[in-house]
Amino acid sequence: MLSDKTGSWTPVALSADLPAGTVMPARTPAGRIALWRSQSGRAAASADRCPHRGMRLSHGFVRGEALSCIYHGWSYARTGNCLRIPAHPGLAPPETIRVETHEVEECGGVIWVAVGVPTAQPPGLEGVAPLRSLTAHAAVAAIETAAGAKAGAGGLVWQAQDAQQIRLLLAPQGDEQTLIHVLLDDNSSLSQRIAASRAVERLRRTAEDLQTKGIAP
Amino acid sequence: MKLYDYVLSPSCYKVRLMAALAGVKLEIRPVDFHPGAEHRGTELLALNPAGSIPILEEGDLILTESAAMLAYLAAKAAPEWLGSGAPEEAARIQQWLSFAHRLTASLGGARLHEMLLRPGDIGALQAQGIAALRELEAGLVEQGLRGMRFLASDQPTVADIACFPYVALAPDGGIPLDPYPAIRLWSRAIRGLDNFIEMPGIHRLHELRPEPHVEPGEV
Amino acid sequence: MMQDAMVDEWYPVGLFSQLDVNGRKTALMGEPIEVALDAEDRAKVTCGDGRTLPVCVRYGHVWSSLGKPQKDLFAIPEADQPGRRLVDVGVIRVRCSPLRAVENFLDIAHFPFVHTDILGAEPHTEVEDYKVEIRQQEDEVWATQVKFYQPKAAKSASGGITTEYMYRVPAPTCSVLYKTCPPRPCEWDVITLFVQPLAEDLCDVWPWMALFDDVTPMTDLIHFQQTIFLQDRSILENQIPRLLPLDPGMEIPTRADLTSVAYRRWLKRHNYTYGAQLVAQ
Repeated sequence: MLSDKTGSWTPVALSADLPAGTVMPARTPAGRIALWRSQSGRAAASADRCPHRGMRLSHGFVRGEALSCIYHGWSYARTGNCLRIPAHPGLAPPETIRVETHEVEECGGVIWVAVGVPTAQPPGLEGVAPLRSLTAHAAVAAIETAAGAKAGAGGLVWQAQDAQQIRLLLAPQGDEQTLIHVLLDDNSSLSQRIAASRAVERLRRTAEDLQTKGIAP
Repeated sequence: MKLYDYVLSPSCYKVRLMAALAGVKLEIRPVDFHPGAEHRGTELLALNPAGSIPILEEGDLILTESAAMLAYLAAKAAPEWLGSGAPEEAARIQQWLSFAHRLTASLGGARLHEMLLRPGDIGALQAQGIAALRELEAGLVEQGLRGMRFLASDQPTVADIACFPYVALAPDGGIPLDPYPAIRLWSRAIRGLDNFIEMPGIHRLHELRPEPHVEPGEV
Repeated sequence: MMQDAMVDEWYPVGLFSQLDVNGRKTALMGEPIEVALDAEDRAKVTCGDGRTLPVCVRYGHVWSSLGKPQKDLFAIPEADQPGRRLVDVGVIRVRCSPLRAVENFLDIAHFPFVHTDILGAEPHTEVEDYKVEIRQQEDEVWATQVKFYQPKAAKSASGGITTEYMYRVPAPTCSVLYKTCPPRPCEWDVITLFVQPLAEDLCDVWPWMALFDDVTPMTDLIHFQQTIFLQDRSILENQIPRLLPLDPGMEIPTRADLTSVAYRRWLKRHNYTYGAQLVAQ
C-alpha cells in the first residue's frame, strides 16, 4: 500500500487475472469491492454491494461497458450510476440509484485502487513482471519475519533459497489475512518462474506457522 | 445409458456435464437421495453395494466411480477429452483424477454438512478443502505459466470435469473462492465451453449472451 | 432478543415422516431443542432447559414454539383438498436471515437471472403491476394478480407460459405461494416455504408443496423444487448485511418489490425483528 496525506493506493489484483468482460471480488482498507473490466478493456471498481437488495456485485456479470448484479440484473456504469433495471425496461433509473466507485490505475501489470484521493500515482515497478497473487492467513508482520525482510514503498524484496530475488507487494485483507502479489525479474525463464511460484508457497506456509504459533512480532 | 442421478450431487453433475459436452444423451433415473435416502434402499444397493451415487448402467456394464464414467463417455463419444496420450499430459490427467477424491471428501463433505445437515467435523473439512484448493490453484498457476488453460493441457480433459463441480460449489460448504484467481479463470473457461450445462449453485454466465433490447410492452 | 414478538410464533422443526424415538437435535431462535417421537408415536419437542415446548403436526412438518402461541397455526385449506399430492421437499440449511429467505421467496424479478430458463428468461424480465395488501382480518400480507412469463414453470409444464401467482405471508418466517396449475386451470398449485430460524443469521428451510399432478414421479417433484431453492441459496448467502434491513434507507425498492415493501412494513409493525436489522450500520 502506498499512502500520502490524502489517500492511498492498494494493489488489489494482477491485470492478467481480470480479463475483459469479467468481474472479481477484491478488498481495500475501506472494504470489499467488485473489480471489473469492461468489454473495451477498462478496469473499474465499485462497492461490492448492489443497493437494491445488498447482493455482492462481484458475483455479477459484465456486458459491454456495464456491470450487472446476478440477482435482478440491475446494471451500473463505471461511474456508478444505475443504467438499467430489467424489471422495468421502460424506466430510466433515477440518478439517486448508484454504487460507490473508486479510482483505478493499472501499471506494470498490477491493478491499484484508490482509497481517498491520493495525490501521487501508484509506484512504478521497473524491471519486474507480475507472476501470481495468493492469499496468506497471516498478517504482514508474519510474512516479513518469514522472509527476513521488511516491506518498503516498492514492496518487500525477498531472497528465497534456491530461487532468484522475488519482489512481494503485500495488501492486508483484514482478519489477519494478506494478499501477496508476486513479481519477478521480467527476464525470468519458465523454470525460474515455476520455482518462484513454489518458493512463495513455502514462504506462505512458514508465515502461517509463525502466525498460528504467535511468534510473529 | 442410464444414470442414477441426484440433481444436487456434484458427482452426478460431473457425469451429466461430461455427457453434455461429449454430446451423449443420458437416460436420467432420479434418485431420492435427500430426504428419502433412496441410495441406501434395496434396489440401488443391488447395483452399488457401496450405497453411493452416481451409478451409470449400460447393458451389463455398471459403473459406480465417476472418474470411470467420465472416461467411458469420453472414449465412446469424444476421445479428445482423454488427452493426446503424451506421457506428461497422461500423468497429469491421472494425477488430477485421483486428486478429485480429495475434493469430494473435503469440499463435498463440508457442503453436505452445511447444506443438508450431514454429520462431520466442519472445521477439519473446511481446512482440508482450503488445502486442496490451494494445490489446485498452484497447479493452475504453473499450467498458466506453461501457456495452458486447463489442468493437463491447453484443451479441457476429463481431469477438468472431475475437479470442476466440487470446486465451483465450494462456497456451498462455507469455503469462499475469492482467494483463487487462477481457479476463477479456469472455472470461467469451463463454464464458457460449448454445450456446458449448469447445476443449482452454478449460475448461468449471462454475459455470453448480448443484453436484450426490449421496449416496454413488447414482451 | 427474547422480547421479540416472534417468540410466540409457530416454527417448523422437522419432517414428521422422518421422526424417530432417537430424536433430532436442532435449534430454534438460538436455543437448542430436540424433536422426537414419544412412546405413543406423538411428536415431542424439548428445549435445552428441559421445558416441553408446544407442538402441532401439520403440512408434513412438526411445528413448535419457544413461547406461548396465541393462535393456531395458520390454515392452508387447499392442503386438505382431495387429489393433491403432498410433497415433503426436505431441509436445506442457509447462512442467512430467516426473513431474507422469505423475502426472496416473495420476489419474481430475479427469475430470469437466478432461475434462468426455468422460472424466467431474458428478454422477459418486465414485472407488471400487481396488487399488494395487508389483510387486516387475517393479519397477513397478500400479493395478487402477479404475472410472469416462465419457460418451464413446473415439472408438469411442457413449454413457456405466462404464469399467475398469489403470495401470502401468514407468519413471519412462512410464505404460501399459489400458482397456475397447468393440468387444472381452475385450481392453484400450493408451494410453501417454511423457515426454521436457528439463529438470526442461520436458518433451516423446509419447502413443501400440495400439487395437482398425477403424472410426475414424486422424486422429480422433489428435485424440481430443490433445484429452484439451491439456485436461490447462493444468492441468500451473499447478501450484505446478512440480516434483513428494516431501515428504508438501506435498500432501494421499485414497483416490482411492493410485496417486499409490505412484508418489511408488516414485520416492523408487529415487532417481528428476529433476523432483522433495525438501523443502518
